[in-house]
Amino acid sequence: MAQAAPVIQPDLELSYEMPEQVTLLSDAWRRLRRNRLALVGAVIIGLLFITALISIVWTPYPTWLQAVGPTYQPPSAAHPLGLDQAGRDILSRIMGGALITVQVGVGSAIIVSLIGIPLGLLAGFYRGKVDTVISFFINIWYGIPDLLVALILVFVLSDALHLIPRGVLVIIIAFSLTRWMDVARLVRGQALALREREFVEAARMSGARDFALLARHILPNALGPIIVQATFAIPAAVLFEAFLSFLGLGLPSPTPSWGAMAADGYHGMDFAPHIVLAPTIALSVTLMAFNWVGDGLRDAFDPRMRR
Amino acid sequence: MQDLKVQFFVSGGTVNAVDGVSFEIDRGEIVGIVGESGSGKTMTALSLLRLIPEPGRITNGRILYGEKDVAQMTDEEIREFRGNEIAMIFQDPMTSLNPVLRIGFQVEEAMIAHQRFSNKQAKERVVPMLQRVRIPAAKDRVRDYPHQFSGGMRQRAMIAMGVSNEPSLLIADEPTTALDVTVQASIIELIRDLSRELRASVILITHNMALVASLCNRVIVMYAGRIVEQGPTRAIFKNPQHPYTWSLLRSMPRVDEKEKERLISIKGLPPDLGKMPPGCKFHPRCKFRVDRCFTEEPPLDEVDPGQRARCWVLMKNIANPEAQAQT
Repeated sequence: MAQAAPVIQPDLELSYEMPEQVTLLSDAWRRLRRNRLALVGAVIIGLLFITALISIVWTPYPTWLQAVGPTYQPPSAAHPLGLDQAGRDILSRIMGGALITVQVGVGSAIIVSLIGIPLGLLAGFYRGKVDTVISFFINIWYGIPDLLVALILVFVLSDALHLIPRGVLVIIIAFSLTRWMDVARLVRGQALALREREFVEAARMSGARDFALLARHILPNALGPIIVQATFAIPAAVLFEAFLSFLGLGLPSPTPSWGAMAADGYHGMDFAPHIVLAPTIALSVTLMAFNWVGDGLRDAFDPRMRR
Repeated sequence: MQDLKVQFFVSGGTVNAVDGVSFEIDRGEIVGIVGESGSGKTMTALSLLRLIPEPGRITNGRILYGEKDVAQMTDEEIREFRGNEIAMIFQDPMTSLNPVLRIGFQVEEAMIAHQRFSNKQAKERVVPMLQRVRIPAAKDRVRDYPHQFSGGMRQRAMIAMGVSNEPSLLIADEPTTALDVTVQASIIELIRDLSRELRASVILITHNMALVASLCNRVIVMYAGRIVEQGPTRAIFKNPQHPYTWSLLRSMPRVDEKEKERLISIKGLPPDLGKMPPGCKFHPRCKFRVDRCFTEEPPLDEVDPGQRARCWVLMKNIANPEAQAQT
C-alpha cells in the first residue's frame, strides 16, 4: 500500500559527468565519417564547390574566348585539358561548368524541397480531404512523362519570362515542377507517422497551434529523410541539365555547360576524344559523388544503422 | 474556478466508450479515476480537453468549466483553454517529449504558446520551473535532450511543462505506470505538493489502488464506460459497496493485513463495448448477482452520505462476502 514517499531535495546539485551533447546532425556526421565512400564523395563535392567558386573570379582563360590556340589541340602544358573545336580552353570551361552544375543542383534541391515539404506536411498532418487532393496530384504527376513535360516547360517558361537565351533558372523550375513528388510523398509519410506520436499529442494538449506542431515537432523529426531525399535530387537535376544541354535544348552556347560541351566535341570524337572525355568524366564523377554521399547520409540518419 | 461540473455521454461510432458519466471537481481537490483497461477512464479525461481521437465524438452532455461549456467553445477558445486551464500528464514520458528539441526549449514553448508570459519571461522561468519539479542540476540540464534524461526526470520535465502555465486542473493519466517504484513515490509526492502550491485540482487516472489511497480525496470507479461507484477515498476503501470495487480491493495484496486473506481475482474480462450485456454491466463477472441484475441496470444511488454505487445488492447487505467469493 501507500508507503512514505522519499523526499528529494529540490536544490540537490549532483556532480556528475555531463553526457556529450549529441544533436541529430552531429550524430549523423559522426557515422558519415566512418563511411569511406561517402567521405570520398564529400571530398569530391567539396572540390566541385571550390572550383565553382574560383571560376566566378578566375579561370585560366575566359570560358567563352575562342581561338586561344589551334582548334582541337590535345592536352598540353599551356592547356592541361586541351582546346575544343572553337579553340576554347577546356579547363576553363570545365571550371565554369562546375558553377553551372552547382547552381542547377543546389537550386533544384531547394525548390523541390520548398514545394514538396509543405505539401507533404499538409497532406500527412490534416489527412482527409486535404490528403486526398494532394495525393491525387502526386499520383497524377508520377504518371506524366516528366522529361517531355520538362522540355515543354523549358520552352514555355523561356518565352513567358522573355529569357532568351534560356537560363539556369528555367532549368531549375522545369526540373522542380516535374520532380517535386518524391519529397512530397516522403514528407507525407513521415507526417502521417509522426502526428500519432505522443509528443505531438502532448504538445496539442498544451494548446499548441497547428503551425507550431508542424514546424517544431513534425518537421524537425522528419529532417533526416528529407535531407537524404534532397541530396538525391541534386544529381538528378545535374543530369537533367546535362541531358537537355547535350540535346541543345538546355543552356545555349557559349555557356560552359558540361552537357553542351560533350555535344560540342561529339563530331570530333574520332580524332580529338579529349573534348568529349573532359566534361563526361567531370559529370560522371560528380554524379557518383552525390550518390555516394546520399547513400552515406541515408545510412547515417537511419537509427537502425546506429552502432 | 469553483465548481467544475462534467456531464457527458460519449459515443465512438456505435460504441459507447463513456456512457452517462457525470461528476464534479472542486478547486484543489484530488480525484482518482480507477478502472480496468478500456473502462473509459482516459476517454473521460480526453473529452475534458475535447481531444477525443477520431472517429469518437462527444454526442451528448455538457462539460462545464466554471461557467463555460467546453463542448461549445470555438476552436481558438479551446486551444487557449488547453494547457492554460487544464494540463495533462501522460503515461509514458519516454514518448511524450519531442526527441529533437532540448528540454528547456520544450518547457519554454509550453509557456509561450499562451502568451501569458513574454518570450523573455518564459526563458527566465524555465530553470525555476525545472527546479520546482526537483530536477537536480536544473541549470545544466535545460540544454539536454530528452534521451539524456532518465524516465523519472522526463516525467518531471513533462510535469514542469504541464504546470508552467499554472493551470487550475491537472490531468495525470497513469503518470507512474512506466516508472519504477521508488521513482513513482517521488512523482506522486511532487504532484501532491504542486497541487497544493498552485491550488490546482488533480484528476488522477490509474488502475493502481495504492496510488489512489495515498493521494486522492475522492475516488471514482469506472467500469464499461460507466461510473459504478464514487465517494470519499476513506469510505470507498473501508466500505466498498459495489461488488466490482470490493473485488478490486480484494485482488490486491495488503501490507497491513493481520491475518492472511486470500487474494481474490476477478474472473473473466470486461465486456466488449460493442456488445454490452443487458442489465448491470458487471453481472457476468459478479459473484453476488441476483435475478434482477440480468435484466435491469441499477441507477447510481446514494448509499451513504457522499458515496454512490450502481448496484442492486450492495456489499453491506452481504453477510460473509469472502466465503461467497471464494466459491
